Amino acid sequence: MKFPDRSALGDMLGTGAIVGMGLFALFLLVAPSIIVLIISFDTRAFVSFPPQGFTFDWYLRVFEQRVLVEAMLNSLQVGITVTLLCIIMGVPTALVCVRGQFRGTTALSIFVLVPHMVPGIVLGVAVLFAAAAIGISPSIGLQSISITVFVLAVMVRTLMSRLQRMDPALEEAAANLGASPFQTLRTVTFPLLMPAILAGAVFTFIEGFDNISVAIFTHGFRDRPLPVELLALVQTTNTPLVAAVSGVQIVLAIIALIVVAASIGLEGVNE
Amino acid sequence: MVTISAPPDKPRRMDWLFDKLLSGQGIWPAVPAIIVLTVVAVIPFVMLLSLGVSEFSVSRGQIIDQTFSMRHVTSVLTDQLYWTTFQRSMSLALTTTAICLLLGYPVAYVFLIGGKWTRRMILILTIAPLLTSGIVRTYAWLVILGGRGVLNTAMMNIGLIDQPLRIVNTHWAVLIGMVQIHLPVMILPLIAVMSRHDRKLEEASANLGATRMGTLRNVVLPLSAPGIGTGAALVFTLSYTTFVVPQLLGGGNYLNAATMIYEQVVYSLEWSKASVMSMLLMSSCLVVLVGIALVTNHFTGWTRGRQG
Repeated sequence: MKFPDRSALGDMLGTGAIVGMGLFALFLLVAPSIIVLIISFDTRAFVSFPPQGFTFDWYLRVFEQRVLVEAMLNSLQVGITVTLLCIIMGVPTALVCVRGQFRGTTALSIFVLVPHMVPGIVLGVAVLFAAAAIGISPSIGLQSISITVFVLAVMVRTLMSRLQRMDPALEEAAANLGASPFQTLRTVTFPLLMPAILAGAVFTFIEGFDNISVAIFTHGFRDRPLPVELLALVQTTNTPLVAAVSGVQIVLAIIALIVVAASIGLEGVNE
Repeated sequence: MVTISAPPDKPRRMDWLFDKLLSGQGIWPAVPAIIVLTVVAVIPFVMLLSLGVSEFSVSRGQIIDQTFSMRHVTSVLTDQLYWTTFQRSMSLALTTTAICLLLGYPVAYVFLIGGKWTRRMILILTIAPLLTSGIVRTYAWLVILGGRGVLNTAMMNIGLIDQPLRIVNTHWAVLIGMVQIHLPVMILPLIAVMSRHDRKLEEASANLGATRMGTLRNVVLPLSAPGIGTGAALVFTLSYTTFVVPQLLGGGNYLNAATMIYEQVVYSLEWSKASVMSMLLMSSCLVVLVGIALVTNHFTGWTRGRQG
């Protein structure tokens, strides 16, 4: 029997080490969320591991806390507003960026994409100060519009990547058959763009619902969104209540993941 | 004779307006977005810049009596506290970026050599955390690293330690949280590069007698340089400017630039210092990003040279 020579053995060990490291990293990605889910069903009134017993009580209690329910409704409102604004402004902008026939489409797309590369905290501070200078106090409205500005880029990028890979022949065919530009847009381009709009809507809704870096500076004093409420709750509470709120959020994330996978596919997220 | 069939829909009255807007392929449809971005992003940034170089007072949430002054810029730049804070942020963000690369690259390699289901699984595990609230994911680390947390309980049960280790509220907790939370952002661009990868290159390399490690070093790694650059830039920006992780895992006494800005704006109302710090945060971030871009460019240029 022949032993594998030194380099082959080293090769196997090296590959094994890299694959092992990769599996460890993947485990690291998912383990914390699973632990939180497990704890949210614990019967004890303090967070400890392993849990004892099984109960849905903490989830019921989340919806009994008026502060938390109101925070969720506020965040829901922000999420929906951000999504609608991003669709209304993002779809035409993406069309112009990809189909526009004038110099400066690149400049336009950079202008739209840059706000998302600015640190959220800096954007939040800037909006708060600018609003204060003209006497506007923070509110759900201010929070929604600033998060919209922050994430419009995500919507536009998702739509642009879809538009760039769309077959122009389809639209040309519609035009050749006598459709007006608006009819072409409505009957050909829009239906083809729908999956990307849906995926973009999921991303922008999640950002509107979960964003903290912009929200913490721009949210209304009385209308605290869920992330702000949660940040305070995490620092003051040691019951599985927070785990249950997290559980609700994790379920939301899973739904979002399924919608994205069904609309543009998981690979599409990366393009 | 040529028959032209009627368009499927009867033109409506408003249609000519939309046609007019669209037919020129002009800039008009983008105007609402341009106006909103100008009002809510561009103007606020100019204001932020102007507040940094002014003297003003805040009364009932309103800015009054603004006059030009460099006092706050100089006072921030000469105060040792700010230098230490920015240094702490910088070293934390750079360490996070390096560890994320170290952990993320192997995942991308598994993605590269894996089959259809491995790839799908990696995509799910990477994208799901990005759709989950950052606070929830940070809270998970409080549960794991806390005094009676998962890690301490497990280590005490197997007799590794007698007393629970104090991990939360230390530099280590912040680093661990930072790495885990920003890991997906590193993995995604790497995966994007790997899935565009031509498998024939590796086969060629193997046929020419290269070992797997040799192929990784000489073929896969140089080709994935753009992904490394993108991932590093994203992770750096996020971990340099986040305040959730330091706030929750570092306890009240761990200050980085972002938590300091937060405290200045919300608690101590030192808005001029916060303006100066925000500008410093952004410009120092930009300097590192340009550095990352230059290094990436250097390595991709090297690959192109080899191909040509």
